[in-house]
Amino acid sequence: MTSFSFAETTAWQCAGCDLPLQPAEVKVSYLNSVFNVELMVCPGCGFVLVPESLATGKMLAVEQLLEDK
Amino acid sequence: MDQTQLRELESRCIQEEQPFCTAACPIHVDVRAFMAALAKDDVCEARKILDRTMPFPEIVGRLCDAPCRRACKRGEIGDPLAIGRLERFCVSRTGPMLKLPKLPAKGGRVAVLGAGLSGMTAALDLARKGRPTTLIAPDGEIGGRLRLLPESDVPGEALVQARKLLEGYGVAIVTGGPLGGAIGEFAARLAGEYDAVYCDLEDVEMAGIPDPLTLAVGGGNCFAGGGPGADSGFSTIKQVEDGRRAALSIERFLQKVSLTAQRDREGSCATRMATVIDRIPPAAEIRPTDPAGGYTPAEAVAEAGRCIQCECMECVKQCAYLREYKEYPKTLVRKIYNNLAIVQGTRSANKTINACSLCGQCTVICPHDFPVAELCRATRQEMVDTGHMPPSPHDFALEDMRFSLSEACRLSRHQPGHATSRFLFYPGCQLAGSSPELVTRTYEFLAEKLEGGVGLMLGCCGIPAHWAGQHALFTETLDALRAEVVRMGRPTVIAACSSCLAIFGEQAPELSVTSLWELLDGLELPAGQGPRPPAALALHDPCTARHRADLRASVRSLCAKLNLAVVEPGFGGALADCCGYGGLMQFANQPLGEKAAQVKAERSPGDGLAYCAMCRDNLAAAGRPMAHLLDYLFGQTGDPDPLARANPGFSGRHENRARLKERLLARLWQEEPMPRPAHAAMPLAMSPEIAALLDRRLILEEDVRKVIAHAESSGRYLIDPATGHRLASFRPVRVTYWIEYEPADAGYRIHNGYSHRMRLPEETP
Ligand code: SF4
Ligand SMILES: [Zn+2]
Repeated sequence: MTSFSFAETTAWQCAGCDLPLQPAEVKVSYLNSVFNVELMVCPGCGFVLVPESLATGKMLAVEQLLEDK
Repeated sequence: MDQTQLRELESRCIQEEQPFCTAACPIHVDVRAFMAALAKDDVCEARKILDRTMPFPEIVGRLCDAPCRRACKRGEIGDPLAIGRLERFCVSRTGPMLKLPKLPAKGGRVAVLGAGLSGMTAALDLARKGRPTTLIAPDGEIGGRLRLLPESDVPGEALVQARKLLEGYGVAIVTGGPLGGAIGEFAARLAGEYDAVYCDLEDVEMAGIPDPLTLAVGGGNCFAGGGPGADSGFSTIKQVEDGRRAALSIERFLQKVSLTAQRDREGSCATRMATVIDRIPPAAEIRPTDPAGGYTPAEAVAEAGRCIQCECMECVKQCAYLREYKEYPKTLVRKIYNNLAIVQGTRSANKTINACSLCGQCTVICPHDFPVAELCRATRQEMVDTGHMPPSPHDFALEDMRFSLSEACRLSRHQPGHATSRFLFYPGCQLAGSSPELVTRTYEFLAEKLEGGVGLMLGCCGIPAHWAGQHALFTETLDALRAEVVRMGRPTVIAACSSCLAIFGEQAPELSVTSLWELLDGLELPAGQGPRPPAALALHDPCTARHRADLRASVRSLCAKLNLAVVEPGFGGALADCCGYGGLMQFANQPLGEKAAQVKAERSPGDGLAYCAMCRDNLAAAGRPMAHLLDYLFGQTGDPDPLARANPGFSGRHENRARLKERLLARLWQEEPMPRPAHAAMPLAMSPEIAALLDRRLILEEDVRKVIAHAESSGRYLIDPATGHRLASFRPVRVTYWIEYEPADAGYRIHNGYSHRMRLPEETP
């Protein structure tokens, strides 16, 4: 499975752990498909950031594609 | 959908029928495309169109007697197109543009006896089909009587070219014929030597009359045609038609298939095409300034420009959906059929199927009642039943419906002080969401005016589930409603929403139902005290009142009694457009839903009046000042101007429905409202822009509160140290919501919101 990177430096930090986010590989899934993608994640607690541009862009496009499969 | 259903539906759409000219043309030249090319001053393209169907265009294009002209639709509004003259114009300015392919040579030797135009056509067609063909010209020359015509009618060069063309396709042109012997004998001898024979009756005389359909003579391998017709007139295009018909018969004969099956479309034929010419101004024929020289290029462009490009497209002209997807019903049904047939791969028509507003306008317009709405709805149901319905187009609307049906909103009570109900007021989910105050006032009015007890029921008729193809959910919803009406003692349901009325009429005909408008029209009306419109309002019928002329008449009667001046927009009544909510269009294709509302609003220039809450809200959202009829019936002094009321949005509708129940319970039945969840009290602040953004993204304030409540109680959120904004997400069911916010005053200020359906690793549902 290929892994796409959507990790971009971000001003968001984890409030609970007080740590900056770092790129990490994450499994995301929709319907019957699972993807490995690289996102910004809190190294302390694993909180995953999905930025707005990703949610309304590429991620939405993939969701629509999978819905029509 | 099976093949038979597909064919039946396809045949109802006439858009692909031949235009009148092409149907009348014995060889079905695409006159419409020919005219379109000439009107663009593209003579070469026009010539290509002739080359595609017409044998020997340099001859036939000059001599064609154009029987199509009598059929031309333009004739009903001005003069028919000068098709013959335009053909002459075209072929006199162009050489051949297309060389039709020759099929690989096969067996089946054919002799064509007689080289008039019909013999030439038969020989050309058969040679192109790969049959070894011998054209026997009694005196060695082709063309028959064409050779006698003056050079100005057919230049000799045209015959030279024709000969070259025939030879180019491999036709052997030989001299021969009866030298002293009878033609019958000669033909009989040929019939023995060749596999099939065609006699051109212009050049040779023959006993026996050919069968008109097949041109077969005597049941053997002999065919004959051409020459003067029964009326002994000589038609050029008839020569071509016979030659072509005979070639097709001979081809069938050689292939040993039926000579007669399915030949009704050869030669001049009928067409079911319907072209509306109401709005086309008449135009007279352009005559050449120099009749002998024919058209100048400018004259030809002008004359061809008179062609109205006959087609149907009547439904497409009006329907924003069909226009958006560039379909007409015939192409749409094929697309849907193919989409349903896909086993593996992308079902690329899903969105198309889900975007139809199911409003049925096209069916009223269509001369053959093509049922696009039922086609799309039934297809959605089939998709749901087979597990192929994508979740995103309908999720939100179905959740909205579940909310209307939930304890937070649903209600059914007899009138205070009554143990039974003769009537039951059913405002419907959207009116409750849009104008809760008007629901209360209407109910109080009905309860006061009508004898025998007026109960009240809040809920939803289930039409969103019906539209979404969710048959089980729809049935369950409607059954529950039915059972409740029965439990209330079978009162007459007074429905305010024409969608509910349509559902009750179609799916629950056993219920006693009346429309609020018809009922009010029979009562002494309240004198609406609120603000009045400054000018006449455009009265917008909802699409769901399409088949309810009675209801629409009551609405107009009410307006008259209220002294409310209204104007009728183009396309109202049975032809009314949908506002974009119907069929859940606005959820499957948001921009299209907005476009549909725009189209409906623009049917009339002025401010509007609606009597469907969804029309009211969607047209208001499209920027058109829009009131609801109830605003003027039950308005009160001090009410804000109903024309200025904004679209409440999805959050506003939720809140309105819940509050309506709470207030009615408290005010009329002195009952305590159900406690709301703790987070419901969380104060939120946001700019109108952010509120509109969340509404467009289908994020309810309820969801916003859930995200923040979850984040603040768990401490799991991100923070931007520079701004102090927080960012958190929560997935109540199938959608993950992200909210950017900051604590402010006693609550939170919202800065952004977005969502996705894809699941992150830590999310369980
Ligand atoms: S108006 Fe044009 S398309 Fe229509 S019948 Fe006449 S030539 Fe044909
Ligand atoms: Zn953390």
